[in-house]
Amino acid sequence: MRTIRTIGIPRGLMAYRDGVLWKEFFERLGFQCVVSPRSDREMLETGTARAVDETCLPFKMYLGHVMWLFGKCDVIFIPRMGGYSEREKMCTRYEALPDLLRNIFREEGIRVLTVSYDWYTKTTEEKVYLELGATLGKSKKEVKRAYVHARKYQDTWMKSKEKGQDQALESGKIKVLLSGHPYVLHDAYMGGELARILQKLDAEVIYTDYVDRESALKKSYDFSRVMPWLINREITGASLILRRKVDGIILVSAYPCGPDALVNDMLVRKLKNVPVLSLTLDAQSGTAGVETRIESFIDIIKYQKAGGYGNKDR
Amino acid sequence: MRKKAYLGIDIGSISTKGVIINDENEFLAECYLWTEGNPTQATKNVLSELKRQFDSETYQITASGTTGSARKLVGSMIGAQVIKNEITAHAVGTTTLHPDVRTILEIGGQDSKIICVENGVAVDYAMNTLCAAGTGAFLSSQAHRLGVEVEEFGKIALKAEKAAPIAARCTVFAESDLVHKLQVGCPKEEIIAGLCKAVAGNYLNNVAKGKKITAPVVFQGGVSKNEGVVRMFEEELGMSVLVDERGHLMGAFGIAVLAREQQTEREFSFDVAEMEFRTREVSCGKCANHCEIICVYRDGELIDAWGNRCDNGAVAQR
Repeated sequence: MRTIRTIGIPRGLMAYRDGVLWKEFFERLGFQCVVSPRSDREMLETGTARAVDETCLPFKMYLGHVMWLFGKCDVIFIPRMGGYSEREKMCTRYEALPDLLRNIFREEGIRVLTVSYDWYTKTTEEKVYLELGATLGKSKKEVKRAYVHARKYQDTWMKSKEKGQDQALESGKIKVLLSGHPYVLHDAYMGGELARILQKLDAEVIYTDYVDRESALKKSYDFSRVMPWLINREITGASLILRRKVDGIILVSAYPCGPDALVNDMLVRKLKNVPVLSLTLDAQSGTAGVETRIESFIDIIKYQKAGGYGNKDR
Repeated sequence: MRKKAYLGIDIGSISTKGVIINDENEFLAECYLWTEGNPTQATKNVLSELKRQFDSETYQITASGTTGSARKLVGSMIGAQVIKNEITAHAVGTTTLHPDVRTILEIGGQDSKIICVENGVAVDYAMNTLCAAGTGAFLSSQAHRLGVEVEEFGKIALKAEKAAPIAARCTVFAESDLVHKLQVGCPKEEIIAGLCKAVAGNYLNNVAKGKKITAPVVFQGGVSKNEGVVRMFEEELGMSVLVDERGHLMGAFGIAVLAREQQTEREFSFDVAEMEFRTREVSCGKCANHCEIICVYRDGELIDAWGNRCDNGAVAQR
């Protein structure tokens, strides 16, 4: 086996949640990391060409990112994440991720670096990273130190995001919460478009993943005790925490997302006394439909604040 | 001095509507015709018709506005002062004529929406996503299959004793349901009543999902002309549903009201109906996004461009 010097990290899916930790962890252990650039239409097109039809938009995008990394690194990091507990699982896509990728890119001879964990074999994040470090031939002590450091690094990064968001929540502008999976909200080609449209309309953009994860998770049990998905827990919990601090909420989902289809249906019914807009992003190249919907939504908030349309006195 | 008048044009995917109003909300001229995939030509036709009806000796148009899916294109074409989305236009139009309205239901040719109103201003809305199930397009295709004019649907539906159960979630499923019902000898009027019921049910379970429907309810859009669907809404909701005979013009009326509310005045000339407009779609090659940029030309001169996701694709105006 070729020695590993550089590790490729596709900028997609859970990289938007845990990528900071991954990169710092590998670099601490002395590896170089190559991260694919921000998403664009070309990546989506190359990814879509290799995906089966039924998969979701973010997965197609992810394939595009993996393909960008070919020839630029020794291995590509694709973890298999099942989730740590029964009520905090991951979507099935993640439970199959390395296998899916190995099969799709069999001809390219893709080299995958992976680590696997599941809710039915009790484990912790630390144990998972110790195992990952061991696969890379590093000593337990070294790996533990790298993990502790990387974890702290990610926590600090998260805190700065939360702090920035707390400031944004004080703003006098119209505040709109984008509620959705981090890899949809922060992808330049998906949620990035929404943020751009909102900012053009002079609105402050607030995100569900810039909320303390622990608090969001805890809050999500008020919403449902049995919902099995971790990320949807973080999304619903954060939405409930923020609902009174924002002027409107946009539920953003990328087509077709199974967990979102079930959870958002219930969430729309639970979010009372705040305007809610459901947006489903698809691979459509034009943004006119999305723009109309967001513009209408901002209008509603604005005219409501102004107390009417000015058509009453006639 | 001539009195002031205001022009509003609503250019939808299926139909184009135009109205001219005065300060008293009276309709001085109105027009409704098919867009036929050509918004610029449809607008020219609407303008010629409005011009014919308009009394230019008593009135002059001092402001104009556009709404609907081609609002940007037509807005730069006629030099409109207000270019606004159809949700706002409909809300403004409806609350102006029906100040106490609480819920606006709308089913058009390809889209459907619900607008919730409190104290005369929209507080929430929803629009259909992804597919046109349960809209006017769905009813037309089923009418075609049954060999009935879609305009007759409402009257036929009202004659039925009961409505045959039909799935309207998806046109494909509805069609197989329909064929099955015909083959077991179900009377046509019951099937048509079933389709009307399915449209109302589909709307309430999808577009209006999670929204509180409070009376008074106003129903608009092309499908509101179908008495069968109106009846089904009333049965499902247990409240009366008001259909304004000018419901199809509400978007155009609303944008005309907004044109009046804004402060600037500029005399509108019907001459634009004579000018030549051309649009060109160019694929921007400046980055990997390859945005489709729409350029609008008036008599060969570029007057507007949009569609770029970043500044690299901004088109300089000559």
